[in-house]
Formats: sequence, structure tokens, C-alpha cells
Amino acid sequence: MPRVTLQTLPDYARYLITTAESAAAKFPVTHKSRLPRLELTVHLSPGALADALGHAYVEAGNDEAETAGSRIFVAHPGIDTIPIPAQWGDAHYTEHGFATRLAEAGLRGHFYHDLDFWQFYDPQHRVGVQLMTAANAFPPWEPAAPLRPFLHWEYAARGMRLAHAGTLGLDGKGILLAGSGGAGKSGTVASGLLNGLDSVGDDYVLVDLERGVTARPLFSTLKQDPQGFARLGLQQRLRQHGPLNWQGKHTFHIADIAPRPVPATLDIIALMVPHISGSETSSIVPASRRDAMLALAPSGIMQMPGERESGFRLFGELTRLLPCYRLSLGTDPEEIAGTISNFLARGIS
Amino acid sequence: MRQPDVYAVASKDIVFESFDGEAVVLDLSTGKYFGFSDSGSGVWQALSSGVSAGALAETGAIASAELTNFIARLLDFGLLAPADTAPNPLPVDLLSQLAAAREPLVVEAHDDLADLIVVDPIHEVEEPLGWPAVKLAN
Repeated sequence: MPRVTLQTLPDYARYLITTAESAAAKFPVTHKSRLPRLELTVHLSPGALADALGHAYVEAGNDEAETAGSRIFVAHPGIDTIPIPAQWGDAHYTEHGFATRLAEAGLRGHFYHDLDFWQFYDPQHRVGVQLMTAANAFPPWEPAAPLRPFLHWEYAARGMRLAHAGTLGLDGKGILLAGSGGAGKSGTVASGLLNGLDSVGDDYVLVDLERGVTARPLFSTLKQDPQGFARLGLQQRLRQHGPLNWQGKHTFHIADIAPRPVPATLDIIALMVPHISGSETSSIVPASRRDAMLALAPSGIMQMPGERESGFRLFGELTRLLPCYRLSLGTDPEEIAGTISNFLARGIS
Repeated sequence: MRQPDVYAVASKDIVFESFDGEAVVLDLSTGKYFGFSDSGSGVWQALSSGVSAGALAETGAIASAELTNFIARLLDFGLLAPADTAPNPLPVDLLSQLAAAREPLVVEAHDDLADLIVVDPIHEVEEPLGWPAVKLAN
């Protein structure tokens, strides 16, 4: 069994990418997705991941400028000369050290020990490989947001960023909802969608600061724990809901509850930090940029492999561009949505 | 010769931004992040730019004992390290910021992301075998 160390890591990454490219014609399935400014071509085997690619993304329109192509090979032994994944050979492993070593060689990457699951990306040539021990040997979170690290690396190389935030919008204007798990992001997004507002995502959205702050959709999946699912009336509305996911949550899609097609962009006019207040009614009051930055940046940076400092700088700039608020969430989904809708309407007028 | 009260940011993994006079600091290697009060932000900005602790104490804006404790916390957190460089003068705007500060000298540490940051834990292993052959206790 080959072993990879920090010393040999870049060579291993380039070897896997070259091997996968050489075997391109032998991958059984080629799937193309049109994402914001990105045409993503994925070579892989049939199965759950191929199925996920068909429904987990919000496909972008054809009017996106500066579209680039990116190719990802989802590889495993059995496809041509694809090798068995190597194991980690150093005594110690840190995500930061791993990413730093690759960045010095112009590469990006991530390793998930439990499955010998490797992901490498060459941003200069826009090609990557995800190597698994078998076609179904991927982490449980992968189908809901397929190939998320590759999208993170590709967009970061272009000055854009996957932000860990929810969104709600009205007439093309929107808010970012920032906070750690349990703060109420997903429930707020679902409340808004069920009561006439738009959203481009409840967990990870693509932001850029080219002309103000813009958020675009990438992933179509929404999540709710069973209590939230019931509170929002989704048990009745989504009768065909499937089993709970690996986190014990229901998963469904924006289109299942959205009043309109998902907008291509939202021009973000405010950054909000939600919290469950316990009071009946919701309120929106100014918050310090420091608190908003603390809610937005650390989790968004640390849940993604690599690009940590660039992320910190971009989120800092984003926070300075926006007014920041604290959103105290009431108990009634319709009232929460109404509070945000009124806020957006005032911002638009 | 080492200046005993001059400090520098401990490593390139310590990054910070300031918002309306309030600093946010992130340790990229560990994922710990820190929020500073207004006075704490002023002191952080001064110390991280090479202003000596003695110069800060001489302003009278901060009690000496309070400043000493605060610096000890920054050293404990691994945000600052003693520096061998000559001190820089205290900028006038920072002096004004400290004089106008209303909050006590506070830095709040957050480590709730630790399990996300080091996605895979550091393992003690049998050296020839590597991870995940866990070293057995003797």
C-alpha cells in the first residue's frame, strides 16, 4: 500500500491528476453542469454521486459572462489504470499543513482519512481528481453538495467565494444570514420561501464583491431537523419526503417550496446575524461589524480546505460593504418572513 | 538586544481585521478566533504594530496591571510573541482611540470551530506503519 507524506504530497497529486486525465475516455459517465460563470464537466461512474449531480445544483442560465470550464474526475480502482488510494504516511496530519504544502506547489487538496478519500485540484489548468476506494466510498455529506471543495477552489482562484450563509430576497435584493449551526439560518430561509420570498441557498452560496455584494445559487438542497420540518408544515406539504440524512435532518430542494424559480443573483443589501430570541415577535436592530464578521467568517473559512487567509480578507471586505443587523427570531414563520419582507421592501424603496 | 516590552504577531497564521475600531483576529492554523473590546482593539493594534508596552502604559489610558494581564493573555493565546526589534512610536490616531475607549480591556476567545478546523485529528501512530495504525500504550 503506497503511503504519502507531506514531502511527496505534490508529486502524488500531480500523478493522480495525470493518470485520471489519461483515462478520461474510460469513465462510464460524463456529466455537465452549468454553474455561475462555470461549466463543470464531471467524469465518473453511475450511482448515487452521478444521480446527485443531476439534482443537487441550481443550474445557471446561458447569459453568464466570463464562463470558464473545469473538469473533475471522480475516480476509483476499476476504471482503467486508476490506482488504489494511498494512505497517509506521516505521523501527524493537520489540514492547514496539508493545504499549505499543496499551495506552495500551486495545487489545492483535501484528505479524509476514514475513507482514504483524496481530492486534488490544479487551479491553473482547471482540472481535479477525487479518488475513492470504490464508486460508493464517499463521505455521507457529499451527495447534498457534490464536489464542494472543487467549487470552493475554483471560485476562490477567481476572487469569488462560497460563503456559509443563508439568503432571502425580494425583487432582486437580498440579505445574507450568517451564524453557526443552530442559529436559525435554515429555518428562517424556509420560512421566507414558504411566505413569498426568494432564496439562493440556505447553507452555502457563492458571493462576489465585483459590483457591491452579490450572492448566487450553487446548491439546491435545503435541510430541516424533524422539529423544524413539522413546525413549518412541511410534513403535509412534502408528503413524498425521503429518509433523514446523515445528520438526522430532512432534505428537500428550494424548488419544492419556492414561490418562483430561483433567481440567478441577489444584490445583497444587509448582513444579518439571526438568533432564536424566545419572544413571540421578530425584530431587526443594528449590530456591530465585529459581531457580524465573527458570525460570518470563521465557520465559512474553516469548513473549507485551504484558501483561509484569502477568505478572511474577502469576508472582511464584504462586512465593511454592508450594514449589519441582529435578527431576533420570533416563533411564527409567517411573522418572521413578514419582518424580513418589510425590511427588504424598505431597503428597495 | 531584545526589547522586553516589544511584541509582534506570533506567526503568519494570525490574521486580523479591524471594523469601526473593533478588531477580529483569527488563528488560521487552529481555527480559534477572537473578538476585542474597543480598548482591547486599540492595544492589540498598537502592540501588533510594534508599539512597546511601556509606551502604552505611559499614556495613562490603561492601568499598568490591567495591561500586563492583557498582554499575558495574548501571549497565552499564541497571538503575540516577544520581538527583537526596536519599538515603533504610538500613532496619534491610536492614542485618540484609546482615550475614547469606553469598554474594559477584553479579548474573547472562541474555539467552537476546533472540530471543524482540524478536520482530521492528529494521531499518534506506529511510525513505520503511519496513520491509522494507532500506537499502543506501553
